[in-house]
Amino acid sequence: MSTDKQTITTDSLVKLRKNQPRFEGIESGHRACLGCGEALAARLVTEAAGPDVMIANATGCLEIFTTPWPESAWRLPWMHSLFENTGAIAAGMEAALKAQGKPTKVLAFGGDGGTFDIGFQALSGMLERGHNVLYVCFDNEAYMNTGIQRSSSTPHAAMTTTSPPGSDRMGKRHLKKDILSIVAAHHIPYAATTSVAYPSDLRKKIRRAMEIEGPTFIQIHSPCPLGWGHDGEYSIKVARLAVQTGLFPIIELERQEMIGSMPIRHPRPVTDYLGLQQRFRHLFNKDDARAVEELAHIQALADHNIKHYDLRGDGMDRLDSDGADTVRRGGMRWA
Amino acid sequence: MRKALEGSQAIAQTVALCRPQVVAAYPITPQTHIVENIAKLVADGNMDCELVSVESEFSAASLVLGAACAGSRTYTASASQGILLMSEVLYNIAGLRIPMVMTCANRAISAPLSIWNDQQDSMAVRDAGWIQLYCASNQEAVDTTIQAYRIAEATELPVMVCMDGFTLTHTLEPIDIPAQAMVDEYLPPFNFSRALDPANPISIGTLVSPDHYSEARHSHHHALLAAADEIIAADADWQQLSGRAAGGLLSVSGPDDAQIGILTLGSIVGTLSAASDTYTDLPATQLINLRAYRPFPVDALRLACSGLTDLIVLERALSPGFGGIVSAEVHAALAGMPAVPRIHSFAVGLGGRDIPLEIYRTLHERINVAEPQPFSIIDVEREKLPVEDHGIEVTGIMT
Amino acid sequence: MTIKLTRGSYALPGTTLGYKTGTWRTQRPEHRHSSAPCHTACPAGEDPQAWLALLDEGKPREAWELLVSVNPMPAITGRVCPHPCESGCNRGQYDEPLAIHSVERFLGDEAIAKDWTYPVTAPPVQAPHVAVIGAGPAGLTAAYHLLRQGLQVTVFDKLAEAGGTLFTIPDYRMPREIVRAEIGRLLATGIVFKPNHELGRDLHLRELQQDYAAVFLAPGAMKSTEWNVDGVTPNDLHDGLHLLKRWSDVASLPEMKSAAVIGGGNTAIDIARILKRNGVDTHIVIHSSLPDPDNPAADDMRAIPREIQQALEEGVRIHDHHGVKRLILRGEKLSGIEIVRMRKLPDNKGRLHRVAFEGTESILHVDQVIPAIGQKIDPTGMERLLTGSSHFKVSERGQLAGNGNLYAGGDAIEGNGGTVTEAVGNGRVAAEAIAAALRQEKLPAITAPEPISFESLNMEYFEPARREEQDILPVQERVGEAEIEHGLSPLQAAHEANRCFACGNCLRCDNCWTLCPDSAVLKTQELASDGSFYVFDYDYCKGCGLCAIECPTGYIAIASE
Repeated sequence: MSTDKQTITTDSLVKLRKNQPRFEGIESGHRACLGCGEALAARLVTEAAGPDVMIANATGCLEIFTTPWPESAWRLPWMHSLFENTGAIAAGMEAALKAQGKPTKVLAFGGDGGTFDIGFQALSGMLERGHNVLYVCFDNEAYMNTGIQRSSSTPHAAMTTTSPPGSDRMGKRHLKKDILSIVAAHHIPYAATTSVAYPSDLRKKIRRAMEIEGPTFIQIHSPCPLGWGHDGEYSIKVARLAVQTGLFPIIELERQEMIGSMPIRHPRPVTDYLGLQQRFRHLFNKDDARAVEELAHIQALADHNIKHYDLRGDGMDRLDSDGADTVRRGGMRWA
Repeated sequence: MRKALEGSQAIAQTVALCRPQVVAAYPITPQTHIVENIAKLVADGNMDCELVSVESEFSAASLVLGAACAGSRTYTASASQGILLMSEVLYNIAGLRIPMVMTCANRAISAPLSIWNDQQDSMAVRDAGWIQLYCASNQEAVDTTIQAYRIAEATELPVMVCMDGFTLTHTLEPIDIPAQAMVDEYLPPFNFSRALDPANPISIGTLVSPDHYSEARHSHHHALLAAADEIIAADADWQQLSGRAAGGLLSVSGPDDAQIGILTLGSIVGTLSAASDTYTDLPATQLINLRAYRPFPVDALRLACSGLTDLIVLERALSPGFGGIVSAEVHAALAGMPAVPRIHSFAVGLGGRDIPLEIYRTLHERINVAEPQPFSIIDVEREKLPVEDHGIEVTGIMT
Repeated sequence: MTIKLTRGSYALPGTTLGYKTGTWRTQRPEHRHSSAPCHTACPAGEDPQAWLALLDEGKPREAWELLVSVNPMPAITGRVCPHPCESGCNRGQYDEPLAIHSVERFLGDEAIAKDWTYPVTAPPVQAPHVAVIGAGPAGLTAAYHLLRQGLQVTVFDKLAEAGGTLFTIPDYRMPREIVRAEIGRLLATGIVFKPNHELGRDLHLRELQQDYAAVFLAPGAMKSTEWNVDGVTPNDLHDGLHLLKRWSDVASLPEMKSAAVIGGGNTAIDIARILKRNGVDTHIVIHSSLPDPDNPAADDMRAIPREIQQALEEGVRIHDHHGVKRLILRGEKLSGIEIVRMRKLPDNKGRLHRVAFEGTESILHVDQVIPAIGQKIDPTGMERLLTGSSHFKVSERGQLAGNGNLYAGGDAIEGNGGTVTEAVGNGRVAAEAIAAALRQEKLPAITAPEPISFESLNMEYFEPARREEQDILPVQERVGEAEIEHGLSPLQAAHEANRCFACGNCLRCDNCWTLCPDSAVLKTQELASDGSFYVFDYDYCKGCGLCAIECPTGYIAIASE
């Protein structure tokens, strides 16, 4: 099966790039690490959101690697102010556009640091006041940009530079903050989790949120190869396993009621997921009773999630953890 | 139209005349009446804007920043703790060269906790890169607020209009509120050259390497210096239109041949002016009302101070461990003048302590020394000092 | 050039394109086509993945055209081939292998029904002329490919009709109207066919070698291997092949009540099933084993497992691991045979020989014993080529060593398993070799490509899907000569084609394009390298390798920079 080939030149690539059948909100040439889950997530988000948006971005990896002055990877109107005020900046943009009568949708981008911790207040205020903003949290589970320090999103027992394991500690002591429940408790019209391992699910949820008048929140699980300790080529594999173990449930909430979820067809043991990442390697020392206990704890957390959100699959489903995003080879076409 | 209004009320009505599209409100004494009055105007349909009651001053400043970037004229106000809380954002706004106006209802800073007036708050953010204008009266505050929008939008620098909390904000007096038509004539519609627009998508707030950071700072600094011309022009234009000047960069009153000068900022000018009329036995004194604190009007100040033998700097804040803030800058500004006056440095009325007319006399007494007084808080009462401070020689204490 | 700062240090859109992150790479992704296991397993050399892909695109005609660019008789092979492609199919390690065999038959039947034209253009008049002896699958395929190579061809056969061994396959398995339809269309491409020409009588090898630029010998192995028990045979012995031919020609059989067929190949099974349908109590005696996963493959019966299964269903009794010890005669007529458990075991030199196990004898009361233990070439007219061997010895490209322009293929050559598909493969390979030789071109040695392994695929992107099965008549309905297995419907064939993993080929699934964090995979058809729909923009590709891991078909390989 051969096609007519023309010679590939720089010019032809430039032209080809401009004619891709998708909206490109983030261009190539950005400085993200190899296999960065956040870069991928952001590109998928802008792809689904389209060109009529305005973005407020928190300080963090995404902001840093896309805007090294004089360059910017963004093809959308975009501003970065500070670390902790994205919710408020976005609220201001929204108020202005509303006053001007313009339909442009405001997006707020923040990492887990700028969302769960330092930016929490501004987020809460924005949600409470009902601003028509889609807030997207790129959750890579630590303050990655400053060198992998723990955030309240860091999972239990994970190693970061401020929660290192040692004779007195086994990684992060505290549990991962349940941001989605907190966000949903603001009674907003739509809040959801998704993962870069399921691009169709991600884009669908973004498009859904775009159409809703009012505050919406989407948390995207985005692996960080450097911070999590795996090769960039395994980012999708790792993200998928997080979902398939039950450690990162994929759910949708409308005004605090759960209205959708991605069932897990074949739940995997948490060790399948944890074993791929260096940030959990201290849990695999069989001679350490603490490690054994922590592994059991994490498995219990996963089991709890599966039970609590009723994620156990019921046979084959086109939108479950195995069926979503398959190739059309007997499965469901990509969204 | 001239009406009897509380200062805050006048500001609220003035802001409405300037037609901001987005207003962020977070209450803090003594600014609360401003935002409450604005809320009432909005509720009664007398002000068409998006009024957002944010959850902190940090968000208030951030909200107006976002709104301005999205192409709207904005307004917010704060004081004291709120100014400090939003200080990170203030630096951010100025560095990004965003045009906007806010009111600082000057109030002392905790600790100790105080709700009363001094100027520590605005002084604390003098390096944020904003234009700072200090108002001596409510009328000046009204006129300055209107001018501030013109100045901000022409220079693409944010403007902080400072007015003393309680002293001005909560004082009822006759104030002339201009007509809408006059304000509309004076202020062109908001048109920010770098407003975010999907049709022309730029990225604001980038990471600048050492290769270009110095140039950014230089440009900002010089933009502020150059803004002095705009401040003067804005006042002149307003005077043409309304018949009132608001004080330019600074204004001087008193006999031309006076050799003693008192420099101050804010409402204390009124007290000194009244005192000067009262204590006619005291030597002729010029009152220098410093309106623009940033940019610091070096040339205008030198001109005003030429011929003075003594200059009293009477300020409403201090830099603990050093002394006066304004006086230090005045020293720096006047250094190298052919005949630098003797500079006497005092802070007064901190934490809202009442400033009686007698202070005028006290000042004149204080400067009759061989050497100019080093900095002191002129109205400290010795017997109220903590035990640990007794036995330390402190000069300049009022008896 | 010194860059001037902007007010507030804003940046213009998309300007990171000026920074080529491709300089970060230490490795790069490359499109690498690998052969799917179905391709490497096919004895004819087909690439089923390729034509299944076309069918999946809704192009059955193009699929058939691609298929017949290798194998010109899919309606036939799609019925009789033992389909090693399916055994090798990677999908078999996930759920069920692709029903390649059934889809091939579907395409073959479609072509006949719709009279699709074979992709052959008439060779130039002055082109060299090649002779083909034997109009069976090997000969016809060779002739077809010789035409496609731009040569003129004449096919000779001693029988009145082309088809060769194809007519010895029973109708219920391989309907003769299909054989005739396929061959008729094939001959209509411009192959000159001369029936009733026998080698040794009407034709002579040396003359043929002189008159023609080359000769391809495909006489088949239409002579049964002789059989006796200690030198004894009944007086009315009929061998299996002979009976099949008779059945095919005149649809009659000698009178018998019960029979024991000796042999385990397709001939034995075919004649056994025909006998059974005709009311004969039928046994098969064979020293090898019924197909059994626990048994070494070398011990299995040579017939196609599906055929053995159907024979058993139809009531044929198979005595595996048995051999005939004695014939029981009444006069010269057979009244029974004594069979004994027997296996082929290696001696101390490793050679296999038959060992009978004393004490395991039993009697089968049969009035006919029908040997079908093997076939060899009828050497008439070719004796000098067959001194010392029962089959032709040929090179890997089908050339008879030391015989100038002589080539051979099909059942007649040594090492073949006796399938139609192998014969097709031989015909094609020899035709290409002949054409190259006539162009004075040297062909390189044949290298067998390494098929892509199951581990190279990414199963996360596939879903289980039921395999389409052809309808088979239940045993009680298997009467007469009607075809037992019905073909797939177009919908079923399309569904099967859609199940193909496309191992080692681009599926156009958009994974790489969607998942590259650096937007360094660009979608295209015009600029794509052969077989893919994407190009890598190496100016920006950082070489993270994500695309290679997430490619479902293993089409992206990572190479050192």
